[in-house]
Amino acid sequence: MADDIIRVENLSKLYRLGTIGTGSFRQDLQHWWNLYVLRKKDPFFQLGSASGHAAARDHIWALQNINFDVKQGESVGIIGSNGSGKSTLLKIVSRIVKPTTGTVKGKGKVSSLLEVGTGFNKELTGRENIFISGYILGMSKAEVAAKFDEIVDFSGIEEFIDTPVKRYSSGMYVRLAFAVAAHLEPDILIVDEVLAVGDADFQKKCLGKMKDVSRGHGRTILFVSHNMQAVNTLCDRAIWLNKGILKEIGPSTTVANKYIASMQKFNLSQSWENLKDAPGNDLVRFKHVELIPHIEETDGIIDVRTPLTVRFQFWNLLHDVSLNVGLVLYSYSGDCVFDLLSPAAHCHEGIVSGECSIPGNFLNDGSYYITLNVAKDAAIKLYDLEECLSFDVEDYRGGIQYFGKWCGIVRPKFPFLLGQKELISES
Amino acid sequence: MTHLLQRFYNKGDRWMHLLISYNFMPQTKTSWDWEISSKTSYWGASLGEMWSFRHLLAGLVKRNFLLKYQQTILGPFWILFPPLLTLVTYVVVFGKFVGIPTGTLPPVLFYFAGIILWSFFSDSFTGTATTFRDNVHLFSKVYFPRLVVPLSVISTQLYNFGIQLMMLLALVLYYWLFQDLTIPIGIGILWFPVAVVTTAVLALGMGLFFSVLTAKYRDMGYLISLGVRLFLYVTPVIYPLASVPEQVRWVVQLNPLTPVFELFRLSLLGEGTVSPVALLYSILFTAAFFSVSLMWFNKQGDKLIDIV
Repeated sequence: MADDIIRVENLSKLYRLGTIGTGSFRQDLQHWWNLYVLRKKDPFFQLGSASGHAAARDHIWALQNINFDVKQGESVGIIGSNGSGKSTLLKIVSRIVKPTTGTVKGKGKVSSLLEVGTGFNKELTGRENIFISGYILGMSKAEVAAKFDEIVDFSGIEEFIDTPVKRYSSGMYVRLAFAVAAHLEPDILIVDEVLAVGDADFQKKCLGKMKDVSRGHGRTILFVSHNMQAVNTLCDRAIWLNKGILKEIGPSTTVANKYIASMQKFNLSQSWENLKDAPGNDLVRFKHVELIPHIEETDGIIDVRTPLTVRFQFWNLLHDVSLNVGLVLYSYSGDCVFDLLSPAAHCHEGIVSGECSIPGNFLNDGSYYITLNVAKDAAIKLYDLEECLSFDVEDYRGGIQYFGKWCGIVRPKFPFLLGQKELISES
Repeated sequence: MTHLLQRFYNKGDRWMHLLISYNFMPQTKTSWDWEISSKTSYWGASLGEMWSFRHLLAGLVKRNFLLKYQQTILGPFWILFPPLLTLVTYVVVFGKFVGIPTGTLPPVLFYFAGIILWSFFSDSFTGTATTFRDNVHLFSKVYFPRLVVPLSVISTQLYNFGIQLMMLLALVLYYWLFQDLTIPIGIGILWFPVAVVTTAVLALGMGLFFSVLTAKYRDMGYLISLGVRLFLYVTPVIYPLASVPEQVRWVVQLNPLTPVFELFRLSLLGEGTVSPVALLYSILFTAAFFSVSLMWFNKQGDKLIDIV
């Protein structure tokens, strides 16, 4: 069993909100007066006082009672929505900010990578920046000098190494900056969302490098990301923070799936009991629309593999008509993915029902919404039920080592063959 | 039977106990290298830690230098132009128009010595007094002993001062060769480093002290630039202490920089009014103020990043 390398105990962080500067001198005086003259605890800085107290308005707990351990050589992903305290946690472990209560104990050298290009200066050349950035991140002169060629090589910008970085393209800048960071050799590496920048190829290279770092050299990584695929692949365990509270800790796939499920925006069914309230007009009124995902696992996530069925019912108020139903699927950005038309059905007054199946391994990951419409004689539109269903499709890559956004409006799995035809003979 | 059961339970207990102690062992026995808590320290980074960041210090000095003179036509010559231009102004305005006596020294040497030591002090002080405000971006992204940044500013200024000092020595040489100026160079030259070090330490101490205030209260920035300009007039830069009327001399003497400036001129040019008591006052004041400022800087530095 590997030893613990980081231990976080009862960690809390209180932030003061509001207009800082104006009145803060008065607050400082009050704080000082309360603490040293009246010898009583300052009400602002007590755990649990945030509810119901005047202090609650201008103070916020960014983290509350966080406890966890990290073992030597382990990679731990930290996930959560914006403002959940992920960055605050990393900043405390990086010694940038002090916690309000609690402790973080650890062993060995810590390097933190909270942004790409910490300490870079636009006016300086690539070479100068490699050195200064290396020093700032905690490398010694000998270390930077020894790795200099490797860093330049990794970044792939040899020709521009003596050019001021302000003349670099943003891609080159990120490459160089990450190259420096990737060659740090700390015991604990803290990485915050650095993968959000740079092109897909380079992201892949960086993730590969980080993986080498943790698996190959027994280094410990704390990694904040919004990219669940990256967390799943890179990290052994994940921590889910929600509004400053540790919601879940465990194997990264489990935690990531729970997090995704909590984040998904569903509008999977709508029903109307009464004809009068139902959306529609004098010709048709909708009774029920529903999207049924055929999910095999219990985690309840619609991913790119999940087959979907759309079921609907409507009241037809017309006598003796030929009806078609159209199903239009839009991506979240409003692009039409497809517009399906049902075969015609001869109907009388009463309830008409139907369903449409969308196979799995067809949609790309993203958010979608569905509009249903009813038409007469395949020509006259009777009614549009706009945006009646919406759902998210999550990513699933199954062993593919690529983390960039998968291109394309759809991601079908068409038959695709590949095999060795013949071998090059030795002679 | 009961006996056996009892033994079984006992054994079980022991196993439980072992299990528990195994689980808890790493917690009680692990020794941690570092601990982060809400406690802030007056002592800051250890000397060992500071030493491990010496390359960063050197790198920052180099960066300051490169940033200042890259893409300027005259480059490092800019170190010499401002004091020389100020010298011309002082000689014309204070020497010719106002007619402030400079003792037996030629006005050029008198003013130039004052100007370079004053610009060393004021640039060091104003450069370090905004440490947190100017480096908030860096400080909020990475940890290193914050003291490295003000030290790099002082070192940069010390380097500039060195170059300006060469200029002063060149001027002295000129007056010695062509103007028959006699300068009693002797053991007094040993006081020169004392003057420079005291100036540097006082500038750093004041800079550290005000860097916390400028981070907290924005008004401090204006106050500092105004204060430094006024402070010039209670420091013997454009006048010798000896020429100050007796009844207001105490005001100038209260300034801990006064003995230092007089000592600086005395050691290099052989003229200055400085008593051992005044010098001792200056050094003790500087040492005490610097210590308090450094501790305050360390203590507050940990918390400031939340509010800058």
